[in-house]
Amino acid sequence: MFPIIEIGPLAVQAAGLILILSIWVGLWITGKFAKSLGTNGDVLENSILLGLLVGVIGARIGFFLQNPETFLARPLSIFTLSPTMLNTSFGLLTGVLTALITAQRNHLPLWPTLDTLTPLIIFLFGGLHLANLANGDQFGLPTQLPWGILLWGTNRHPVQIYGLLLGIGLLIWFFFKTSQLKQTGYFQSGLLFLSTIAGISLITIFTRAFIEQKILIAMIDIPQLLSLFILLGCLFGFYKRRYQPQKHISVFISMGSNLNPQENLVLALEQISAMFKVRRLSSIYLTKDVKAGEKSADFLNQIIEIETANTFPKLIKQLKTIEQNFKRLPGNKRKVSLDLDILTYDGHVFKYHSISIPDPDIERYRYIAEPLSEIAPDFRHPASGRSIQEISEKCPDKSEIKLSEEVENGS
Amino acid sequence: MKKKTFIIIAISVLLVSLTWFVLTPLLFPSTSGESTIAAPYPGFSAPNFSLNTPGGQVLSLSDYEGQPVLVIFWASWCSVCKRTMPGLQTVYEDYASRGFEILAINTTYQDSYLTAINYFEEQNYTFPFLIDEDGLTASDYKTHALPTSVLIGPDGDVLDVVIGSGMSDALLRSKLDQLLVDEN
Repeated sequence: MFPIIEIGPLAVQAAGLILILSIWVGLWITGKFAKSLGTNGDVLENSILLGLLVGVIGARIGFFLQNPETFLARPLSIFTLSPTMLNTSFGLLTGVLTALITAQRNHLPLWPTLDTLTPLIIFLFGGLHLANLANGDQFGLPTQLPWGILLWGTNRHPVQIYGLLLGIGLLIWFFFKTSQLKQTGYFQSGLLFLSTIAGISLITIFTRAFIEQKILIAMIDIPQLLSLFILLGCLFGFYKRRYQPQKHISVFISMGSNLNPQENLVLALEQISAMFKVRRLSSIYLTKDVKAGEKSADFLNQIIEIETANTFPKLIKQLKTIEQNFKRLPGNKRKVSLDLDILTYDGHVFKYHSISIPDPDIERYRYIAEPLSEIAPDFRHPASGRSIQEISEKCPDKSEIKLSEEVENGS
Repeated sequence: MKKKTFIIIAISVLLVSLTWFVLTPLLFPSTSGESTIAAPYPGFSAPNFSLNTPGGQVLSLSDYEGQPVLVIFWASWCSVCKRTMPGLQTVYEDYASRGFEILAINTTYQDSYLTAINYFEEQNYTFPFLIDEDGLTASDYKTHALPTSVLIGPDGDVLDVVIGSGMSDALLRSKLDQLLVDEN
């Protein structure tokens, strides 16, 4: 159906090229998405590319383990440059394991990383259907419908096109949901991924019905049955993550003041501990105002970890109320009686109005990184997985930070 | 989305999917006996052909019923073909005694017959050389690149189609080993 492209000794079938292209475009978009979410796009891309490479090698080794006689008689044939002699399952296993281990060693956080991967998954899904169309694989049942395509001797359901079109629909939903890759579209990490996989399962359940060569056990098409279970799992997981109330959400908050700061920080802490359980409390640090420069008074900063069961919108409202108690004048950046910024909300990565969680300032300013490493030396950035030590080292802000006074931890 | 709305949507989606899943075998049963259709794709019966050898003999695919056959479309200008065929010859020497046959179909309609036959004789290939003068057989096999190798089982069904250099001797040997073990 589609032509063949010859590159050196390799006759690359259009199908292979389509798959490579969809991985490439998917990775590119995933990279852009990672950038706006703050997840570690470079490590993610490296894990995937390494996984692909090891997967291809694993697939060839798997084939020879399956056919030991062929291999022992001609060991050099293992290097044959052709897209044949591959054991797909073995390749998938080694490739996925490699990618997982690499991701794990770099401490990539599970759910935010899966969310970041969604564009790649959707592109692969679409690419796979297009590749099947090019190869004539996964063809449909004979049909008299006007949109049937002539394939393998008769008019058939264009299943590959059904899957492709529905996949494009999923992609449009994805771009809509992420408002062109600027956010995850949900407060809880993982929901974007779970709804995408649910969508893919739903499409698969629908299209598998029209496939001619089904994988049948007792009249049941196995991929269709598997998709049904995956759909069920995704919906259940979505429900659990989205609607089951979480009781002990850890939230790091940065407190800052340059108007009667000593007094204000103590009062703020009082008000916060009246509303929330305080887990950890940093020393107070003295810093120059990084945003307004020399003109404004020095800041006192402190980081506090609280525990809450409140949703993010509710929490932000409560903190705004506290800020208002200190008569913060909105817009006046020079004189700040109290500034409360939510740095992290559990392990979630999302955007709410103009607030990004985790706060990008964590990686920008020393007045956050320093106290954070003091109270939480085991802290890892919820989006990128970087340790607080690495964040401090790579912090572009070189301004001077002084301990203002020692406070006792925990209060 | 409210919790209640989500639960209603989730349950409806699951119910619709489950219904579709249950109805699938009833509405869209897999048609068996597909292999009565001839198509160059695994699972279908291999399209038959009758072609001349340079000696004027007519060979048909149907003559080889009960034997595994490798049909390879090639041309003398195709460098990948020339790299692939010597490997096939070694397999042929080892497996011909067990009934394996190779039919090398020269796409003569887009090749120089003399160059092709000279090359074939130079290389001392011992499998038959077939002449596809009008390109009808290549078209029946939807050949759009050379070489295209089609492995056909003893029952006449297509087992595998490999485009390009992929039909290496190692791959062919492993396929034949499986095939001939199954036979025994």
